[in-house]
Amino acid sequence: MHPFSILTLGIFVAGYITARWDLVTRLCELAIFAWDYGVITRAAKAFLALTLVFVCIFIPVERLATREAYLHDALMRVFWPTDLPRSDLRGVVVGWRNSALDVFVLAILDEVEPRNVESALQLGTLTRNAPHPVSRIYEVCGQSSMRVLGLSNTPESVEVDPSWIRVTTESGRRVPAVTCARASSIQIILFERPLPSQMQYISLNPIALALGDKKGIFRQDSPDSGEDDDEKDERQKKAKRRQLVEKLKQHSVIKRVPSAKEKALAKIVNQINWAWELERLLQSNVSRIGTRPKRSLSVSERVVESATTARDIMLVWIWDLFTVYILPIIQRIFILGLMGHRIFAEMLLRLLEWRARPKYAALKDISATAQQVEIRLQQFCYWPMQYVTLRLRKNDWGSVTTSHPDYIRFYNSLWLVANDVIIGIALGSYIIDNANWVAEEISQLLSSYTVDALQSSISWLMGWPAGLKLNSELAIFLGDLFLWVIDYWSSCIEALRPALPNIIWFIGFSSFAGASMPIALFSDLTSILTVHIYSFYLASARIYHWQLNILISLFHLFRGKKHNVLRNRIDSCDYDLDQLLVGTILFTLLFFLLPTVVVFYLNFAIARMTIISLKAVFDTMLSCLNHFPLFAIMLRVKDPRRLPGGIRFELRDTQDFRLAINDSPKKLPSTSVIYLKSIPLNFKAMFYQYFQMGNRIRKHYLSPEVVLCLLTGKFVPPLNRKNLYSLQYSMLPARRAGVMEMWDAVNSLPSPKRRIAPVYVPVLANGKRYPNNYGGGRLRSYG
Amino acid sequence: MLTTAPHLYIRRPSPTTAEFTVTTCPPLTLPLRLALLALSALRLSLAATVLFALYTRFITPPTPTTSPTSTKHHHPPFPPQTYTSSPLSPTAYLTPTHLTSLLHALAASAPGQHLARLTAPLPPWLLSALSGALLYFALLWRLHTTESLLVLRGLGIQTATTAAGGALWGGGGLWGWVVGFGGPATRFIPTEKIRDVLINEAFKGFEVRYYLAVVVEGEEDVVVVFPRLLPGRRIVETVWRGVRGCLYEAPPEGYGYDGQWKRG
Repeated sequence: MHPFSILTLGIFVAGYITARWDLVTRLCELAIFAWDYGVITRAAKAFLALTLVFVCIFIPVERLATREAYLHDALMRVFWPTDLPRSDLRGVVVGWRNSALDVFVLAILDEVEPRNVESALQLGTLTRNAPHPVSRIYEVCGQSSMRVLGLSNTPESVEVDPSWIRVTTESGRRVPAVTCARASSIQIILFERPLPSQMQYISLNPIALALGDKKGIFRQDSPDSGEDDDEKDERQKKAKRRQLVEKLKQHSVIKRVPSAKEKALAKIVNQINWAWELERLLQSNVSRIGTRPKRSLSVSERVVESATTARDIMLVWIWDLFTVYILPIIQRIFILGLMGHRIFAEMLLRLLEWRARPKYAALKDISATAQQVEIRLQQFCYWPMQYVTLRLRKNDWGSVTTSHPDYIRFYNSLWLVANDVIIGIALGSYIIDNANWVAEEISQLLSSYTVDALQSSISWLMGWPAGLKLNSELAIFLGDLFLWVIDYWSSCIEALRPALPNIIWFIGFSSFAGASMPIALFSDLTSILTVHIYSFYLASARIYHWQLNILISLFHLFRGKKHNVLRNRIDSCDYDLDQLLVGTILFTLLFFLLPTVVVFYLNFAIARMTIISLKAVFDTMLSCLNHFPLFAIMLRVKDPRRLPGGIRFELRDTQDFRLAINDSPKKLPSTSVIYLKSIPLNFKAMFYQYFQMGNRIRKHYLSPEVVLCLLTGKFVPPLNRKNLYSLQYSMLPARRAGVMEMWDAVNSLPSPKRRIAPVYVPVLANGKRYPNNYGGGRLRSYG
Repeated sequence: MLTTAPHLYIRRPSPTTAEFTVTTCPPLTLPLRLALLALSALRLSLAATVLFALYTRFITPPTPTTSPTSTKHHHPPFPPQTYTSSPLSPTAYLTPTHLTSLLHALAASAPGQHLARLTAPLPPWLLSALSGALLYFALLWRLHTTESLLVLRGLGIQTATTAAGGALWGGGGLWGWVVGFGGPATRFIPTEKIRDVLINEAFKGFEVRYYLAVVVEGEEDVVVVFPRLLPGRRIVETVWRGVRGCLYEAPPEGYGYDGQWKRG
């Protein structure tokens, strides 16, 4: 302070004190008073206590907090595309900053100023001329803007922001060397960018080939339609498991709050999927940054340009003519035809789904043909909707991956139907050409297997089969009964025989709608033409079951017990002597008659099981024709990256990485190099539904209950058709879209774009230049 | 000799990333490398022999086995001497005609005849089944089981299994390389989904095994780490400590995880 001003201040203070002397004396009195009553010591104590608290609590807490923060932030994570073009030029690294030390590199813009890039990013200059709305990028990638992340190939002398990274990319180096002032250790996660133009993408969860919207619906209507025992069993098991999981949850005491880095994974997957398209966009706009030397076109370039423009104008003119006059008419006619077809399909579907009562079986539940027709009609109804969804995909960025499974599903079902029709045409033409011969063969088979074989086996059973001395009276009675019915049935079949070639011709003709039609028809024909075996099986099973039950209750009587129905237990009972005598005699009689009934029952049960397995073979063929993941397998072989089944990481050795660093003056932080790769979908997941169906069938037919049913003559319940065919419906939505919905959807399609004569902006001399075959030249390294 | 008891390798390039590998493959010393090389050569030659046997049985006409061998030796269909004497350019050796003639010559030679005599009494279906089994063993059989656990802080953990034995679908092996299903079967669990990592004990046969398990949020089953090898308690504990230290931030001193997490 200036001495003069000090003097002025002194004079002012002295003057003030003399003027207000009474104030000063009051203050002195107050001080003396406070000292006398111990105010000052108390204040000093309080101050001391506060200091103590500060030293003991606040400072350690603050230290801990900073240390925690340091520990937390010490790890830096860098996502780096391996196929980013490398160069020795200085550049600016642009990308997403997911959190303070979690960065995702999108592109390196060569030979530009970081400040300019930052302002360009803020102004949106770099995302100009985007084919689709830019806000969609930020929405899907979960960040509000792209940032400048650091500099590449910059000398150490240049001062940078401490949170920026310095990258050294050379053409010889596989993995870029990354340093950051604030990071003590670095994870470099390298990935290869999926190409959105080829519909490649990565995802955390395996791609769903089946439509997954109807689990709830199946579960909802299963209780009222009387669910199976095995289904109930499954449900109970699941509930038990859920309880166990709940218990397991109680074991972990601490619930860790996931950090921002850990939560970012889903976003990062999206960012990886977008990386390719965004880099192209950024690189195409590099020329807009800053001022740059402009170059006019040379003469030859101008000639080429005007020639191409003339050609383009011609093409655009022809295209316009076509779109304005011809295309709308074709479209109209096509849409009207489609709608007519849709209305017809709706009526047929209503008929097929009609139930007299809610619990009764509909036509499609009984007959395989009806079901096949229903599946095809549903597919025809669903295709326009799918097609519209896929067309709308074109209006969005290629990197939006939500519709890729739809694409696979759509083309899979198209391909399957086309295959089906091709096989069907071959099969149908063969059947039609040889209708007489096929009919002859079939009637031969029918008479030999369902009539003659049965007759001979019954007559074999009537005459002491295999040396078993059956009761001949009963055997002859039963055998005669069945033979008489078979005789009647064979006469029916004889009556049918002249019509058989026509039926076969009809089947052959139907196979032009696909090979699955004749198979379904044959399946139905088998069940109709073997009705007699089914009824024999039912009758003999009934007789056998009654006899077994009577035997069991008479056995109780024999032991002096009886079955108490009310309590559902065996009670002792005092029988009279005559009761016991009659009961025992009856028991003996029935027991000796049992083997005769058993052989007849077994005969028909085996025949019935054979027919069931035959129908199972037909059903398997149908499900293969209707649901085989043909397109998925083709993709799996052709381009596995289109069928992502999750991601995996590979830890790479960092020795060579370290060695390469040694020549640089500064020491790198400890770095781990990790490759992120996409796992292609495995075959087990592709055929998941087949496995599930196989499991269900196995559980249903090879379970001990079924064996018990067979042994005791109870009716073996057939597998619920709905369960069996959940596979076939897995490609279709649970609720089909109505006629009006389809009309709206079809009409909402955008009209074909008017081609505007393209104006070629010459590629400027700086920035990175991409030739037309960008995909081919993307690995080119500069340097 | 070629396999050992499961033992642990740890790879830790930075404190935040670690890979724990449990394998039955002993450390690769020179004798072991030579033995493995010899074994693979043996397997390849076995596969070649089987293919050759199939060729002589099903593709060439069965004349060499029926006719007396002495006459055959005098007039082989394509005498090999002509090829050894005439100078040929290297590409000429690879033409189909030359290869077939070479095969014929091989079939006519003594070992080929012996092989044909061996396979002759077998019915075709038995021969195909046998050769299928042998080929499977020769090409797809794997000797060592290797299982690993990769821990990445901020990302998650990943288990990988390459099991010994035959592998048709599961990745790895020569088949995996040929068809493109290479690599071990992996499973990645994001950190967000990991509820807990713990050591549990279970009965297996008549013994109690300790195993490392990951409890995953929203899943009914725990994910067992090293499910094939189920290494001993010492290894499991080491890995568990490593996972604890690596997956989450390092604990401050005096606040060990040991007291807190050691319920397992």
